[in-house]
Amino acid sequence: VAKTSLTSPPWPEVKLPDPVEEAKYHAEVVRKVNGLISAGEYGRLFAVVHFASKQWKITSEDLIMMDNVLEAECGDRIRMEKVLLVGADDFTLIGRPLLGKDLVRVEATVIEKTESWPKINMHFWKRHKFQRKKIIVNPQTVLRINTIEIYPCLS
Amino acid sequence: MVVLSAARWVRSRLTDRFWRVQEVLKYARHFRGRKNRCYRLAVRSVRRAFVRSTKARREKKRFLRALWITRIEAASLEHGLKYPAFISNLLKSQVELNRKVLADLAIYEPKTFKSLAALAQRRRQEGFLAALGDGKEPEGIFSRIVHHH
Repeated sequence: VAKTSLTSPPWPEVKLPDPVEEAKYHAEVVRKVNGLISAGEYGRLFAVVHFASKQWKITSEDLIMMDNVLEAECGDRIRMEKVLLVGADDFTLIGRPLLGKDLVRVEATVIEKTESWPKINMHFWKRHKFQRKKIIVNPQTVLRINTIEIYPCLS
Repeated sequence: MVVLSAARWVRSRLTDRFWRVQEVLKYARHFRGRKNRCYRLAVRSVRRAFVRSTKARREKKRFLRALWITRIEAASLEHGLKYPAFISNLLKSQVELNRKVLADLAIYEPKTFKSLAALAQRRRQEGFLAALGDGKEPEGIFSRIVHHH
């Protein structure tokens, strides 16, 4: 068949590595990471957590402020369950989209429940005698991330 | 006798004019020129400042998202991937990190960002292979090759 502009795709041809060798490589990597986790040879862990409809990149001893009310008293310990990513210096565990609850544990304490500074909402339409002024005060909650722990149960 | 309203010759005078004026001037103290001292000018400036701050609060979200996208684009180009390829392949691999967190990872966790770029690249190549299909010719009527003997 004659070669036209559409015989070969416009992207360069790619070759994926051999699936058998890839499976061996993957198993080796998983074993190594499991070994590192169980030996405890990681420094500071960071995690990406989905909380209060926002994603936060957190470490231990971190302060977080949410712009809404949390139904927990000051001093309560909270466990954050929707963890998207956990990482240390040598390895990262990426969740698809979330990581298992038996793999990561993120604990936080409620420190403070205050209100935000009074924000002013103003609308003005010139030459039309239209003016509206509203003062908005949002409740806020401050959390301190105590610990991030991982357990060696990869497969 | 019971008196319910004040007599007609008694007039009331405004006594807290100072505080009403200070309520407005306190928001204008850091302005430039006479509008930080004179009430008539300050009222207009303060009103415009409030309106601008309300509008800016809505535009800040758009501005920050554009900033994150620029940063992610720069970081993914360092690893040889363009931004649309990076984001689309990450989403196809079911990694739902938002742009804010990706920008933070690109700044503070370069190794993690490199691994995410490699993941997106691998998913992209698998997508290309899946799009190619079998590599055989289609069995249509008009695309059939005519053999002259």
